Amino acid sequence: MQEQFLQQIEANKGILFKISRSFCHGRADQEDLRQEMLLRLWKGLPRYDPAFAFTTWMYRVALNVAISWQRQAKRNSGTVPFMDMHGEMADGADGTHPRQYPLEDQHSPMILLQKHVAALKELEKALMLLYFEEKSYREIAEIMGITETNVATKVSRIKEKLKQAILNDKNLVYGRS
Amino acid sequence: MDDLELNTLWKEYDRRLEESRVLNLQTWAVHRQTFEWLQTQKVRSRLRPMGVFKGWAVFLGVIWVLFLGLLAVGDHGKHPWFTGSIGIIFLFNVYAIVAYLRQIALIRQIDYTDHIVETQEKLAALQASTLRSTRILFLQTPFFSTWFWSQRMITGNAVGFWAISVPVALLLTLVAIWLYRNITLANANKKWFRRLIGGIEWSPILRAMEYLKEIDEFKYR
Repeated sequence: MQEQFLQQIEANKGILFKISRSFCHGRADQEDLRQEMLLRLWKGLPRYDPAFAFTTWMYRVALNVAISWQRQAKRNSGTVPFMDMHGEMADGADGTHPRQYPLEDQHSPMILLQKHVAALKELEKALMLLYFEEKSYREIAEIMGITETNVATKVSRIKEKLKQAILNDKNLVYGRS
Repeated sequence: MDDLELNTLWKEYDRRLEESRVLNLQTWAVHRQTFEWLQTQKVRSRLRPMGVFKGWAVFLGVIWVLFLGLLAVGDHGKHPWFTGSIGIIFLFNVYAIVAYLRQIALIRQIDYTDHIVETQEKLAALQASTLRSTRILFLQTPFFSTWFWSQRMITGNAVGFWAISVPVALLLTLVAIWLYRNITLANANKKWFRRLIGGIEWSPILRAMEYLKEIDEFKYR
């Protein structure tokens, strides 16, 4: 059973990396979070229903662990500024030599999008992560435990909020109105 | 900016961050038990600041309950008001300790394989429920003003008893019932509530209550 489990995890490890990166800042913490996700997945395996896709179940467990982790981290040390995560991103591939991005990159829509997604409330962040991973509204509803209509409404509302926030930031930086 | 652009931006960031993604599953499989132990230690260390307070609360609660039990039993029913009042305070405190330990156990047993909203709601509800069991303790307050009563005071028509003791007990009863009924999630944002239920030890519970509101909004709005 363990062998099969590890094969499934290996095939879908991207899920754990993406979620840990979105909910947790700093490589050591991300690694810790991934270990905890692995443990929860392993312990929850007897309750996995093969009628559903393994990835759906994996998203559910991993997001639940990540949300709880972030709430715990907030309780212990307050919120972590986004720049910390950006700092991690600026590391070289081996994690030792900082890779310099041009200043304008830090105000690029790509980075601004990450900043504003990081600032979303935990449940909204989980929802948008699934949306950006191109999950269907049905699958998102199944993972989150809300209706498809609710998913559609929320996604559309949060997207508008993100677009507006990015535009506002860009206008602020480049002095446009 | 359109939706497609938003998705492209997300993917672009993802592409730049394309990590080596070495999950090291073989090591994990071999040392699974060690990892489990390490994770448990880490969770314990994260919870330590809160755990120390809660641990002391339970410890002192048990000592208090034992003390009350000894007082009540030691009286051998010679002073019914004393035994009755102490006995009732004893029961309130036993209830609070049991409820508190039960909540801690339930939080640890939460099933992470359930729907996200459902799991998070259960977790927050359990954390917030500490308040429900604690507010019951307010109901014991009037009994702190009745333990010294005696049959002689009641039948002796002592002015001090009817003019001071009885009104104080009635007032405490009214205040206790009012607090019991009003220390609820709905009043969490009121000033008197924040003043009464403030402090570091209460903040996780207040945050859990706020999170419950947030979950409710997420579900229905």
